Amino acid sequence: MSLETGATSGTGTSEAARPDEESDSVSTSSLADLDGTSFAYGAVGSLAFLALWQAAAMAVDRTYLLPSPVEVATAFVVELTAPTTFTVPFVGVAMPATRLTANLAQSLLHYLPGLVVGSVLGIALGVGMGWSGRLDDALTPVTRFLRPIPPLAWIVFAIVWIGIGHGGAAFIVGIGAFWINFYNAYAGVEGVETHLKEVAASLGVDDDLTMIRKVILPAATPSIATGIRTSIGQCWMIVVAAELFGAPGVGFQIINAAQNLATDVSVAYMAVISLVFLVSDGLFRRVERRVLAWRA
Amino acid sequence: MAGVSDGDAAASDSSTADDAERTNATMRGSKVVVDDVGKVYESDRQRVEALSGVRFTVNDGEFVCLVGPSGCGKTTLFRTIAGLEAPTSGEIRLDGEPVTGPGTDRGMVFQEYGLFPWRTVRENVAFGLEEQGVRGTERTDRIDEMLQLVGLTDFADAYPKELSGGMKQRVGIARALAVDPEILLADEPFGSVDAQTRDMLHQELLRIWSETEKTVLFVTHDVEEAVKLSDRVVVMAADPGRVREVVTVDLDRPRDRTEPAFGEYVDRVRRLIGE
Repeated sequence: MSLETGATSGTGTSEAARPDEESDSVSTSSLADLDGTSFAYGAVGSLAFLALWQAAAMAVDRTYLLPSPVEVATAFVVELTAPTTFTVPFVGVAMPATRLTANLAQSLLHYLPGLVVGSVLGIALGVGMGWSGRLDDALTPVTRFLRPIPPLAWIVFAIVWIGIGHGGAAFIVGIGAFWINFYNAYAGVEGVETHLKEVAASLGVDDDLTMIRKVILPAATPSIATGIRTSIGQCWMIVVAAELFGAPGVGFQIINAAQNLATDVSVAYMAVISLVFLVSDGLFRRVERRVLAWRA
Repeated sequence: MAGVSDGDAAASDSSTADDAERTNATMRGSKVVVDDVGKVYESDRQRVEALSGVRFTVNDGEFVCLVGPSGCGKTTLFRTIAGLEAPTSGEIRLDGEPVTGPGTDRGMVFQEYGLFPWRTVRENVAFGLEEQGVRGTERTDRIDEMLQLVGLTDFADAYPKELSGGMKQRVGIARALAVDPEILLADEPFGSVDAQTRDMLHQELLRIWSETEKTVLFVTHDVEEAVKLSDRVVVMAADPGRVREVVTVDLDRPRDRTEPAFGEYVDRVRRLIGE
């Protein structure tokens, strides 16, 4: 849910058509995926949205105020095909790329490490505190206090400690991923039925590590998976925000193009984020369905 | 306070605890001795005496039911015997050894099944064997044997969510028996299934009991269930939880609920409970 709101606030240009789009997406998600009627409604809604957008863009005489869908699509194709090179960091090899793929690769360079490291640490602490009452008691005041601080606020330390390159951006993404995964892992571990632990104990599990490995982690997996999936989306929001401070990537292009009044390019890069999110979320859902086939 | 034996079976007087005196030839000595067990829950505001001076024994190979009104501490007693809770006073002995925690010598079956939902039927049954380090064909054979025992061979690869309540409980029984425990502890195991399934499960459990020759301690609030299944019924009373009387059910199996003698036992136990 929060992902949707975040995405829409990012694409401020589509404000006018937003209510339509939202009610439509709600109704399709609550119906069966393969329902022909809901698909038809979805197509109608999407076309209406595009038509409204196009009409509004044509009514505005200055293109940069509201680029039309056609202009955005054109800009998208140009960015997708314009050749450039992408230098792989550490290795230093320059690879052929297009402007769009090069920018996306730049973003991934901090998105992926931040997501992975932040998630792993968040899950580890969440499981630890969910499992151990003492650790929970000791660290709850700290986590309660630090949790409300928006990840972006840590940009000051990202800048003074690491600098605002990939490292700084990854740091902020990592903080975002950390909290989301921390809470989901914590809730998952806390919610493990007592019966399961008792059964395991009666079947010979007599140390904490075995209990965590064979009972707690599998039982908490659905909740942990939800945390990972949420952070996959949320971290894109954080990536864009972090790049507004100057780290290279898709988010930087959004603000950079807008400063040159090329808002069509800005919106094209907004669309890139949306597409990347949809693809990664879809892939993760597939993995989740397979891994959690046992879930009722 | 301690269990008073019923008139026609003085030998099963529970107050004789770990004495060896047995008149029943099929009994092979005490498996479980509940020796003057008390359990007090104390909080800032109140003190609840859940169990007081509970004494009885369960003999090797015997089927014993614990019945009583709600709040009589039968579940507390079950958990104490299972080693999930420590008694405040007295002790529980299994084969002469004091119980200090849960262990593989006591297989547990719960009303809510307690199956691992991420494991298939086969993998659930395998859990205890994995912990014991039983591997390869030995493990597979043991699992197959257990699945056959409970009639779930065809569902070996199903997940718990795909099973009915009765089937889930059979998995629970197979999993508990796989590690070859000394005693099977069951806490209202058939409380969540419909009456028809329950009847079927009773027959199955009795068959499994006679095939495996396990000792069974079975907690229930259903008096008919207790009379139908057990050699002896430990009737408990509340406030504080204690043994009111131990009733020996001297009926041949299979038992028929419509028999007058069956009804007499049921009435007698009900009167003891105060129903």
